[in-house]
Amino acid sequence: MDRLVPIIVNNYDIYLSGLLLTVELVGISFAIAMVVGTLVASLRIAPAKPLNWIGMLYVESFRNVPLLVLAIIFSAGLLRAGFDIGRLSSASIALGLYTAAYIAESIRSGVSAVSKGQIEASLSLGFTYRQTMRQVILPQAFRTVIPPIGNLIIAMIKNSAIVAGSLIALTDILKVARVVNSRTFATNEAFFWAGVGYLLLTIPATIIVRRLEKRFAIKR
Amino acid sequence: MDYLFDSSNWEWVFAGRNFMFLLERFLNNIVLALVTMALSLIVGLGVALLRISKNRFVAAATGLWIDIWRNLPVLLLLLYFGLALPQEVKELWVDNAPGFLPEQIRGSGQVIASIIALTVYNSAVIAEIFRAGIQSLERGQGEAAAALGLRYWKSMRLIILPQGLRRMVPATVSQLITLTKDTSLVSILAIQELVSAGSIVNNTSGSPFGGVGVPAPILQVYVVVGAMFVVFNLALSLLSRRLEVRERKRSGDVETVTGLEDQISIKPI
Repeated sequence: MDRLVPIIVNNYDIYLSGLLLTVELVGISFAIAMVVGTLVASLRIAPAKPLNWIGMLYVESFRNVPLLVLAIIFSAGLLRAGFDIGRLSSASIALGLYTAAYIAESIRSGVSAVSKGQIEASLSLGFTYRQTMRQVILPQAFRTVIPPIGNLIIAMIKNSAIVAGSLIALTDILKVARVVNSRTFATNEAFFWAGVGYLLLTIPATIIVRRLEKRFAIKR
Repeated sequence: MDYLFDSSNWEWVFAGRNFMFLLERFLNNIVLALVTMALSLIVGLGVALLRISKNRFVAAATGLWIDIWRNLPVLLLLLYFGLALPQEVKELWVDNAPGFLPEQIRGSGQVIASIIALTVYNSAVIAEIFRAGIQSLERGQGEAAAALGLRYWKSMRLIILPQGLRRMVPATVSQLITLTKDTSLVSILAIQELVSAGSIVNNTSGSPFGGVGVPAPILQVYVVVGAMFVVFNLALSLLSRRLEVRERKRSGDVETVTGLEDQISIKPI
């Protein structure tokens, strides 16, 4: 570890751009995950059995498949099938669709945590399904859903290494560490700084999520 | 679109020994996951006991240790240990690996690097699961044990751990699912397993049907590879749900520890 300082001084610019790519990748994927996740969650709680099954099929298949396999399918697989969607979009679609399964589950369990009596009460007050959802269930579900979604963002930061790594030309911070390592043979130092980069993102996120958990905790 | 629906692409996956080959290589993933899980449970229990230590300094230092490893990408740890682990250690593994492991697991020095990397990461997660399981117990349990004159270790061993451990079974099984998925990443260290087997199947020259010149069905092969993981992990998650229900019936507990993609929470049932 004796070259710890020189490694970062000489390479801080590529480490920084790698870190930015990681953040960008997570940002795009998170947007995809939220949109798809909400759709899938609404399929899972819709009052129609076939829709529930479709939602369940989505969740169970995307959450049990390794992200690496998804990344290969959405990059090399789609490319071979004739769909060239670009590296960043295939990486973020793979990560986004994978995380969407978890988001859908969090939203679903948030909604089902709201007691049945509330739904019955609002229906008996003459609210429609839509009104019940919008004015009674979702505002309450929101509080229970925030902490798990925060945790999923942390998981996404870590998982972004997988999708970027399997698509060789995306230089995220882990790829930067590999480049620096092959250039300088300073393995410990190169990976140490990439680790620091990830911790700079994940540890503050963990602290924020813990705070939110306390804040939104439902006291009964 | 022709490519997607061309049935010969799907037939490729099942042609000859291709499918059996993939299944055999999947065994390597499962073995790797089980070995890592066994080690992580042992290491994780030790770390968890340090984490709930009465010595504040020890507890805080262990907390930092857990948070650091848990918050790094597994892929970074795998690459790091794969590159940085001394060659002697890798040779030591090749020479001394237990005989019951599959040949490809015994034969590659990178396997020990990946076991270390996966264990470092997973033992931190397991330690958090243990801690959540132990701390979900009512305080009265520990206090009652102390009042009955049991010392710290005895109350741990006889009162706290048996109850805490049962509560963490569902979370441990779902961590095993995450771990099984993570074993696909060891392909980056050139260890023979299911994902690398997929690329071998793709590299088989020429299609067994129309001869040469047919592009390898990358998409179809990896859909089948993914399906294998899904079937195995679904079986595990069914098991986890069973255990949860049984635990609830047997103990009348109100809380269980659940894990979701490496995140642990105590949920009321």
